[in-house]
Amino acid sequence: MSFLYASFRKDLARWRQDPLTALLWLGIPFLIGGLITAMVDGGDGASPTGILLIHDQDDSLLSGLVAGAYSQGQLGELISVEQVSLDEGTERINAGDASGFLVIPEGFTAAFLEEEPAVLTLKTNPSQTILPGIIQDVTEILLDLGFYAQALFGPEIEQIQNADSDVVPNDVFVAGIAVQIQGKIDTVSPHLFPLAFDIEIVEPPPTAPRPDIALLFLPGIVLMAILFSAQGLSADYWKEREAGTLRRLVSTPGLLSRFVYGKALAAAVVVGLLGCVTLTLGFLYHDVAWSKFVPSVAWVTIPGVGLFAWFSALQMLFPNQKSANLLTSILLFPLLMMGGSFFPLDVLPDWIAAIGRMSPNGFVVDRLTKELTSPTAWTYDAKSWAIVFGMTISGLAVCAWRLQTGFARR
Amino acid sequence: MLTVENLIKQYGDFTAVDNVSFDASKGTVFGLLGPNGAGKSTTISCISGLLSPTSGHIRVDGADVVKDGKRAKRSLGIVPQEMAIYEDLPAVENLKYWGKAYGLRGAALGSRVSEVLDHIGLADRAKDMPKTFSGGMKRRLNFGCGIVHKPGLLLLDEPTVGVDPQSRQRLFEMVEAERDAGACVLYTTHYMEEAERLCDELAIIDHGKIIAKGTVGELKSQLAARDVLQLNGDFSEAGIKKVIESLTGRGISDLELISQEAGAVTLTLSSASRHLPAIFEAITSEGGSVTETSLRSPNLETLFLLLTGKELRE
Repeated sequence: MSFLYASFRKDLARWRQDPLTALLWLGIPFLIGGLITAMVDGGDGASPTGILLIHDQDDSLLSGLVAGAYSQGQLGELISVEQVSLDEGTERINAGDASGFLVIPEGFTAAFLEEEPAVLTLKTNPSQTILPGIIQDVTEILLDLGFYAQALFGPEIEQIQNADSDVVPNDVFVAGIAVQIQGKIDTVSPHLFPLAFDIEIVEPPPTAPRPDIALLFLPGIVLMAILFSAQGLSADYWKEREAGTLRRLVSTPGLLSRFVYGKALAAAVVVGLLGCVTLTLGFLYHDVAWSKFVPSVAWVTIPGVGLFAWFSALQMLFPNQKSANLLTSILLFPLLMMGGSFFPLDVLPDWIAAIGRMSPNGFVVDRLTKELTSPTAWTYDAKSWAIVFGMTISGLAVCAWRLQTGFARR
Repeated sequence: MLTVENLIKQYGDFTAVDNVSFDASKGTVFGLLGPNGAGKSTTISCISGLLSPTSGHIRVDGADVVKDGKRAKRSLGIVPQEMAIYEDLPAVENLKYWGKAYGLRGAALGSRVSEVLDHIGLADRAKDMPKTFSGGMKRRLNFGCGIVHKPGLLLLDEPTVGVDPQSRQRLFEMVEAERDAGACVLYTTHYMEEAERLCDELAIIDHGKIIAKGTVGELKSQLAARDVLQLNGDFSEAGIKKVIESLTGRGISDLELISQEAGAVTLTLSSASRHLPAIFEAITSEGGSVTETSLRSPNLETLFLLLTGKELRE
């Protein structure tokens, strides 16, 4: 037992000499996590808007209504209307500085009232895909609306047109027009709005509140730090072999298994600390219940040691340090990709997510995600804990076997 | 303290150690002298438990290294040829760690570590990292890690390779101190001077076999005070045979041919310097010529040459 403790203290003291590496193990996940959180949560919430340039040569009430129609309701959140001169509008649309440029010709109102043709010119920006299309659709709807208004209320419009524009219309005239328009609406309403069926509105069943999307990334980011550290620390067996200390160790009565467990304990401290730091920041940022903190740290630390053990076992199968490091580094990235460190498992295609959940880190990420996003307390599932303990113990056993069967003796 | 009986270590068809047997006692330095690749390090590896012997027995303080490895290893300390220390762990922590690996604990460990630090001259640098040490200091720490548990048997595998003369001298003193303290030291080297200086008993090993064994005095006596004469020049094989016959006939009875290659011949004879004129004359009369002469008085290196026909450092 004393040699196990000596090995643990020895490795902890050695690894403490290299804080920069530990900072890198933390820094890369933080950088990626920060970027993801900024993308998901960040910004000022403003949607992208397009600019519609309008040159109104008619300068009438009707042309003003047309121009104003683009700024109404939700359309106004998408399109910003600017009145410009013909030259400025032409120059800016040619420079791609707007989504569209609409020219309302002089005499537009007169042509509308007299049911004569008028040409509205809309020039759109070909480098944009969505907003120019919206502007074009809205313009066509406005023209259709004008056509139906003219067809339905032509006589009333004509009366208004023929009225003396310099005199304020009297109440009888206005009331007459209003009654005529109301009469027509009453006549056509049954045809335009037939109530052919009743609609029963059924309330959907209440669903669980959707978790904060950025929180879904947290377990993957924590496991990224754990994976980096597990892979980095696993190179220590090769460092010891190159330093000749493994050969010396074999000639001592100290048991190799205790040496392995001592190293694993030191790795547990490093992995646990990284888990604490990343989870603390995540819990603070996402306001997760602190009652879940300790089980979360334990849940990432134990498999973290398991990952360290299996990375170490893999490293010891290779004939030299370079190829061992290369292989574990190559292995790291598919594990990160499929195990939910770059994208939450829930957003991955089903078949990738299914494979990811079977990977050691994906298994941990999946369970941690469920626990952190659940409104209930941490659920202690014996089977899950047995799996991570099993993975860890078997990894350590393989390491001890590999040391015993030759790696330490060369 | 150490008994090696009929030790054989094979790798496939290659026999690295071939039926090696020797004993080494407490308070002595036993040397294994031989060229690179002779089997010295393999022998040490078998004794230290790094390699399993193909056959044969090794006992350390009565404990069989294979059957009772843990007990055997408690009496065993090793100073490997390459460094075997933690460069990123303070010197004192290195010694403590290896002390614990050998089962030392508590106050006994602390006092022994202090003793060793004084002994290896690193007491004032105890808390420094070995990566900041000079090569000689690292060597001393490497040595200290091998003796921290006061081993009954200390294995030193070519400990002076690449070591500066000052550090080498210091190392010799440390080895002698261990021997004087009662340890049995097994010392492998291919430097004849080291073997002569340190070893009470020697085994000369070549191609995995022990070809001579005894004290330095006993081995030297095998040379019968004969010098080794190496001649380079222009002479044929048949010519050299005639020269030897001629010189033997003229009273140089102990003249012996050790080896002959194109343009080089090695001879052994007593009082060689006195016979040089006669040798040159005989070669010239046979139509040959000498361009370079090397005369060495009897030592372990010439014994090796005599036994194997090749230089110790080839």
